[in-house]
Amino acid sequence: MKADLNKFPELNKTKFENRGKELRLGIPVINSVVIGNSIAVGFGDGTIRIFKAGQSSEPIKAHNGIVLCISKDGDDIITGGDDGRFLRISLNGEISEIANFGSRWVDHVTANNGSLVCTSGNNVYLWMAGRKEPRILEHESTIGGVAFDSKGRRLAVSRYGGVTLWKKDYSNKWKSSNLLWKGSHNKVIFSPDDRYLVTSMQENQLHFWRLKDKTDSTMSGYGAKVKSFAFVHDTKYLVTSGSNDAVCWPFDGIGPEGRQPICLPFVGNKLVTFVEPFPNENAIFTGLSDGSVFLSEIEKSSNTIMIRSFTEFEVTTISVTEDGSSILIGDMAGNILWTSIWDEENK
Amino acid sequence: MESNKQVPVTVLTGFLGAGKTTLLNRILTEQHGKKYAVIVNEFGEQGIDNDLVVDADEEVFEMNNGCICCTVRGDLIRILSGLMKRADKLDAIIVETTGLADPAPVAQTFFVDQDVADRTKLDAIVTVADAVHLSSQLTDHHEAEEQIAFADVVLLNKIDLVDESGLEAVKERIRKINPFAKIINTTKCGVSLNEILNLDAFSLKRVLEVEPDFLESDHDHEHDDDVTSLSFVSDTPLDMEKFQDWFSKLLQTKGQDILRTKGILDFTGESDRYVFQGVHMLMDASPMGKWPEGKVRSSRLVFIGRNLENMNLKEGFENCKSA
Repeated sequence: MKADLNKFPELNKTKFENRGKELRLGIPVINSVVIGNSIAVGFGDGTIRIFKAGQSSEPIKAHNGIVLCISKDGDDIITGGDDGRFLRISLNGEISEIANFGSRWVDHVTANNGSLVCTSGNNVYLWMAGRKEPRILEHESTIGGVAFDSKGRRLAVSRYGGVTLWKKDYSNKWKSSNLLWKGSHNKVIFSPDDRYLVTSMQENQLHFWRLKDKTDSTMSGYGAKVKSFAFVHDTKYLVTSGSNDAVCWPFDGIGPEGRQPICLPFVGNKLVTFVEPFPNENAIFTGLSDGSVFLSEIEKSSNTIMIRSFTEFEVTTISVTEDGSSILIGDMAGNILWTSIWDEENK
Repeated sequence: MESNKQVPVTVLTGFLGAGKTTLLNRILTEQHGKKYAVIVNEFGEQGIDNDLVVDADEEVFEMNNGCICCTVRGDLIRILSGLMKRADKLDAIIVETTGLADPAPVAQTFFVDQDVADRTKLDAIVTVADAVHLSSQLTDHHEAEEQIAFADVVLLNKIDLVDESGLEAVKERIRKINPFAKIINTTKCGVSLNEILNLDAFSLKRVLEVEPDFLESDHDHEHDDDVTSLSFVSDTPLDMEKFQDWFSKLLQTKGQDILRTKGILDFTGESDRYVFQGVHMLMDASPMGKWPEGKVRSSRLVFIGRNLENMNLKEGFENCKSA
């Protein structure tokens, strides 16, 4: 005889949920960023919360409407909001305003190696180290995403029609070149070795360029828009959302062209909405549209563990602390799980 | 496109000076206790009195899917997706377009983008027209024709400034372009808000309810408007395969000139009514339950567009009848 677990949802909880901290906030979780062993989360009511082992995570009112984007600059959190403000927030919760664009939304923020960037409409605002006034880099259409390479010498700006690649020369001047592909490009990332640039598109596909020879190609076959994608630590795979499987494209050797991706399936055939690599492992966390989250090893798909059970609401963020010890999961309805990954005896 | 969770989006179009902003401010001041987001273009005429006003850029994107007329408003996708992440729920969203905007990319955004379609729904396109100037605008600007062609409601404003025959002439011209649009006469946009909000005009159910206001006879061609409408009725059931073949080819080849289509179809051997409505090449279609008892089963099909007379529509439709 088998117990009907559906009648007792609390019995369905995973050990990660049982030993972790759960919050039911009712406010959409937008995104999160890892700073060392702290994780900062942005919410749809303009607040952020900072999670750190042994500390409470009180809301900090940052923006008037929505925290549209969140990233980090060294040990500080940086955020953009629909109130037009670009903010710096310390891990102690002190807020300072970097810029204010009034009724214009601040859509994307990033930083690397002393350079600080936010975008609003068609413009990138770039603060170089030590400068008070930003340099304005103009584009012909609204910016879909921004990313620095690992050294902070190149800035990729995705937009309608492709990517504008800004490069800092040795006299610290920024010069642009274009990587063109028809359609509207959203999120953009460099591979950790800076050899590839990948964008997600308005269509259900990704596009990538190999930067040394500017060859490019499309990764398609998705049932939905690819909103979340990331390279696993050794650049061997690009893991992507937008399908019922976590689709992992091989980027070693000759790259993904003409090769098949590894597809990691999950029970229930739900849409993968968020993917996050496990630091320093060939493994990924996958969040689904029903709120469940799994940990899988890429090359051993049978080795999959359920981290979080269903909440009914799509997973909108997963972050893992730098030491790989704790994970934070958030969803569209404001349910948060903050828990340790390793069992006590395996620590 | 039907769910209670979707926030309704009303699109306000119309030429500069027709009274869009007056209408917008009326909506915002009269709907007490409701939370609205207003998306405005950067050339707004005057101030808008609302907590949540978002500036838009009217950025039109071509989809990279091989369909040339499949354009969407990129800025709307971005803004609507952002608004849906707000903690407080919105009662409605109103999008004001510039006077020279083509409404098609706005409407197509709700067909093409899955996130937008999941969380919002296009409620209606409301076109504010100036009774004094509409005639000359229709002659001079194709955008004015498109705004009338796409409208679910035409708010014919400033009627106190035209005489009765002038008013009839302009209404007749609107009906010739778009027999579906409900025409409301106003001065200073004085209209009951339930006539322009929560209409659900893009749902297939509404296609069944709205009786098109066809002209009784073919009037003299005083103004040869570029955009016209043609309608067809048949009491003979249609052959589904023939119809699908003809209609899909028609949209593929002439979709750029066909602005809007609506229809209720009676197929041989099918007990359900088939209802569809489309914008250019994009189409929403579904069986919509049994034919009402005691009513004659008949197929009705309406096209609004350019160069319709060169598409052999009558012949094509006739050929779909079951032998």
